[in-house]
Order: sequence, then C-alpha cells, then structure tokens
Amino acid sequence: MKKLKIGFFIVMAACVVVGGLGTSASAVEPIRIGLVSPVSGNYADHGMLERIGMEMALEEYGGEILGRPVTLITADSETNPDAAARRARRLIEVDGVKFMMGGVSSSVATAVGAVAEEKGALYFATNGNSDTVTGEHARHHVFRAGRSMAMLVRGGAKYVADNLGKKWFFITHDYSWGHSGTRWARNMLDVVGAKEVGEIKVPLGTRDFSSQLLQVRNSGADVLVITCAGFDNVALMKQLAEYRIYDKMNVWYTLMEYVDMWPLDPKERQPYCSVEVSWDETPEMIAFSEKVHKKYPAAASPVIDNGSYNGWLAMKLLLEGIKKAGTDDVEKVICAMEGLELKDTKRKNPAKIRAFDHQVMSDVVLVKANPKATDTRIWNVMDVIPAESVARTKAENPVDVSCK
Amino acid sequence: MDIILILSLILNGLALGMVYAAVAVGFSLVLGVSGVINFCHGVMYAFGAYFFWLLKDSIGFWPSVLVTPILVAAIGLVIERVLVRRVYGLDPLFGLLITLGFSIALEELIRMIFGPAAHNVNAPSFANGVIIWGDFIYSQYRIFIALFGAVMVGGTWLLIDKTNFGAIVKAGMFDSEMVGALGHNLPKLRAVIFVLGAALAGLSGILAAPIWSVKSGMGTAILMPSFLIVLMGGLGSIPGTIIGALIVGLSTSLATLVIPRFVDIIPYLLLGIIIYIWPRGLFGEQNITD
Repeated sequence: MKKLKIGFFIVMAACVVVGGLGTSASAVEPIRIGLVSPVSGNYADHGMLERIGMEMALEEYGGEILGRPVTLITADSETNPDAAARRARRLIEVDGVKFMMGGVSSSVATAVGAVAEEKGALYFATNGNSDTVTGEHARHHVFRAGRSMAMLVRGGAKYVADNLGKKWFFITHDYSWGHSGTRWARNMLDVVGAKEVGEIKVPLGTRDFSSQLLQVRNSGADVLVITCAGFDNVALMKQLAEYRIYDKMNVWYTLMEYVDMWPLDPKERQPYCSVEVSWDETPEMIAFSEKVHKKYPAAASPVIDNGSYNGWLAMKLLLEGIKKAGTDDVEKVICAMEGLELKDTKRKNPAKIRAFDHQVMSDVVLVKANPKATDTRIWNVMDVIPAESVARTKAENPVDVSCK
Repeated sequence: MDIILILSLILNGLALGMVYAAVAVGFSLVLGVSGVINFCHGVMYAFGAYFFWLLKDSIGFWPSVLVTPILVAAIGLVIERVLVRRVYGLDPLFGLLITLGFSIALEELIRMIFGPAAHNVNAPSFANGVIIWGDFIYSQYRIFIALFGAVMVGGTWLLIDKTNFGAIVKAGMFDSEMVGALGHNLPKLRAVIFVLGAALAGLSGILAAPIWSVKSGMGTAILMPSFLIVLMGGLGSIPGTIIGALIVGLSTSLATLVIPRFVDIIPYLLLGIIIYIWPRGLFGEQNITD
C-alpha cells in the first residue's frame, strides 16, 4: 500500500513537471500572419506564387522570429474586395492575427487595407500595383511591396515613345489597377511627345478580344499600350498573334507577369513589357530562382516572377521590421519598418521602405519578349531602372502616413 | 463610321455566336430532353480542352478530335450512372445542385492533375492563317470553328427533331411511365443523351482551346454564358440555342464599338428583355420545368 502511495505521488509529481513544461511551451505564442491571397478566380496562380515567395522567406528565418514560431494562415481573397475584407476581418477577430499580407488585386489591397486600419493590424500589400494603394488610399497600417504603376510606366514610356512609336492606343483592364496603368501612360503622353488615338476598357473576365482587336487594327496606332493581366491576358496575347497585331504595330505592356506569357507558343511572345523583376537579372536571382523551382516544381511559373518575388520581399521586410522593433506590437513594428533597408534583395540595388507613403522602393525592369525562346528565357532584359528615378516624389504624392 | 470595321465586327459576331452555340448545344440537349440542368457541362468542356492538349502532339489533330470526345463521353457516362440518373423526373433544382457540387470537385481534380498554369494549344496548320482583304482581316481558325460548330449543332438538331430516337426520348420527358410501357428502355436512352451532351461539350472544348487557351477554371467561366444562351433560346430548343448564341455573339461584338466596358452586361440585359416578353425564351415550349 505504501509503495502504491509513493508511486502515486511520483506520477503526480511527473504530471506537475510535465504540465509545467507544457505551460511554459504554450506560453510562447506564435506570431500569426494572415495571407489574404487569391486561391480561386482570375489571379489564383498569382496568389499561389506570392504564397510560395512568402514561405521561402520565412524558411530563411527558420520559421520563427524573436524566438517565436511564425504561423501563416491563408484566407482566399477570391480576387473580390468584399470577400477579402470579410476574410481579413475574420483573420483579425477570430484568428488573432496582427499582421496580414497578400492581395494580387489592387482593389483587394485597398479593401483589406481599410480593415487593417480600422482594426489596428498591419497589412503588407504584396502584388497590387495601382497607385492608389500608396496614393490616395495610403494608410498608416498599410505597406506595399509591389512597384506602383507610376514606377512601371515611367520606367518604359520614354523608350517606347522614342523607339516604338508615338501614336498610342490603350487597352485597359476595367478596374483600379488597369485604370492606374492607363492613367499613368496618359500622364506621360506630353512628357514623351506621344498622343492618344483611342482606348478600350475590357471587363475583368473577358476571354474573347476579337472585336476589340479588330478596332485596334483599324485605329492607325503605332503602339498598343496594354494594362491587362491574369487568364484574360493569356487569351489576349494569343489573340494579338491571331489577329496579326504585331504586323501593324508594337505592343507595350505596362506590367507583364511571367506566368501569363510562359504558357504561350514562342511566336505569340512578342511585346515589350515593364516588369517588376526578371529572374535572370543577376546571378543571385538566377540561383534563387533555381532554388525556388527545385522546392516547388509544380508552381505555375518555372522561375521567380513578380508575384513570388514580391511575396518573398514583403515577408522578409515584415520579419526584419518585427526583429528591429523587438516586439510584435503593431505600432512599434510600423515605425520600425519606416526607412528599413534590405540589402539582400538578389538585385542590383537594395530595397527600402519610404516613410511617407509606405511604398517599397525596388528596381523596375524593361524587357522585350523573345519569340525564338524555347526555354525559360522568354524575354531579354533591356534595362534595369532604379526605383528612385521613376517613383512619385513626395510633391507628386502628397500623403504622409508615417509615425509622427 | 468605318464600314469595313462594322462588317468585320458583324462577321466576328456571327462566328463568335457559332462558337457559343457549339458550347451551349450539349447543355441545351441534356436540359431539353432529360430535364436536368447539367452544371457539369462546363467541366466536360474543360476536360475536352485538356485531353486535346495532351493528345494532339502525339496522335495529331484529327485523331485527337475523334478520341477526345469519346474520353469525355466516358466520364459523362460515369457521372450519369453514379449521380444524374438519381434525379431524373425530380425537381430540376436537384439536378442543378448535384451537378454543380460535382463540377466544383472535378475542377479541383483538373487543377490537381494538370496543375494551375495555363497551357498553349495552337490552331491546326490548315487554319492557322488570316484572311486579309484591304483593311479587312479575319482569322481562318475562327471561320473553321464557326463552320464546325454549325455542323455540330445541325447534327444534334437532326438527331433530336428528325429521328425516332429523339421523339422517344422527348416523349419520355413528359410521360416516362407510358414510354416505358411501350417497351422503350428510357434510362438507357437518357444515358445516351447525357453521354452525347458530354461528348459535345468535349468537342467544343477542343474548338475553343486554340483561341482562349487551356486552364483550370475554364469550365466555370463558360458555364454562365451557356446557361444564359439556353435560357434565351428556350429550354431545350436547339434552334433557340443557335439564335440565342448568335444574339449574344453579335451584340457583344457590336457593343465593343459603343460601350466596350459594359460589353459583358449586354447578354444579361437582352436575356431580361427576352424573358420579359417571352417567359419561356424565344423558342421555348412547355417542358418539364413548367
């Protein structure tokens, strides 16, 4: 009986010790990051790519920051601002998320940004490129990793006007990002001495562009300036070749995604494009691209593209911001991120977060598609343009969302 | 206004309409004859495009055009045997829900098997050029698929409206007991119709692949235009489907001249007007949904 009692106390003691250990282990609360990213819809591929980039960045930190594990919680934005805002609200209120990132579409980024501001969370828009995200909708709680359309259009407009032609026809994806691209190209008309000869706005979800392209052919333009992305754009590029648009004029995309051009037949790849990143712009980027492809061979893009790179960049900057702040207090992290510079960008220049509009400053690239390529070199890099030379200045973008 | 441009847009609208008709005819067939709103039609169309993409380089264009619909028909047979046969004669809502749910699952399956990326399919070499006549230009492939679509739709119409087979299956829709009592194996005939609808969807997927490319989610994207065309033409009416498809093709093509940003609303607007005037659609007759 005595032995039994001793045994009972030993077991009880063990339970207390183990329980205590358990308590101390669970005391290390994970840092939860909500990924509001498209899993379905026109931009589902781009969503997957940005999440790959984020996971690659987190892996570099061993999956933790400040000695705390980082948990990623994905919520499907459906490329729909209402759905994304709902999911963002749930992430904050139910899942206890303080940090969010993702959002391929600018309208989604704007909607999620508003929720973040209201709820006091930090939101890092990864791939929305509309100027409004860090322009008229700039918010204290919102950062943006993707290049703004101002940067992308300014990076290419002069070359296009000087070398490709001065009569421009616009095809615009009919939502905030598309408008932003055409608005900036229009702003550049006087600057580069070009003139507009027409515009067609195409609704999101358009698969057949035949009627629009018949009009483009008859427009007398010598450059077709396109701001269109996603599956719509894959179909559009096929039809540009089908309707022999390249025989009549040059085509310039204000922003091209690698994943949109990659599936095409080589002869259908002919436009000039502004891109956020090219996988072959530096040896470091090539090595990184190979590493990502090895880890995610089934990804929609066989190389690093805008989406995966910006996902990686945003996650790195956020983790560096948390590290610099030494806490997960949102306000302190926001202030720590302002002015933060990241040297390891795999690019020619470092990336830096501007304090006044929370825009990440990273290079813009101008490329020309290569219709002869049968491997991943589907375009040739023509120029790498430093962000500072093309981004809107404080005078042009008079907002101030910085920590006072 | 440039007359050449308007003529080009009219021709484009007609060709586009025939492509839509080819896509919608299988949907119309199953709905009109079996009374099932088959939302698996879109995913059958996607299977057609994917199988064609897989086969065309190894066995060639025409053999792929032959084999692909057979493969899609086989999938259609499985769906009919496992799911759809349970909802014949019931409220059409049951068929709609069961096929919608299954089509979502199949879309995910396509994504898992073939990956999320888009795939390229080139037009066959015999129709890979353009017809250029002054300022007029038109794609040979679109003319080819418009003609091919016309043959598909015409063949289906002949089968349903001009053969004993079609008459029996249609009769079964109104009085299945009487048709059974007359010695006809109605479940078998309905299975044939469903499989034929799947094959037509697969065939239209082949036709559309070179112009719209191949990608997961393509089935969902085509479903609503197909449904809209069928409603416009009248449930189950093949001539109605053709007219509905031509209206959609022509209106969207010409609307790009005037209100390009609202071009995708035009068919819905027209549907509203048509349904307001003719509640059963343009060629609608009394059917199982009444």
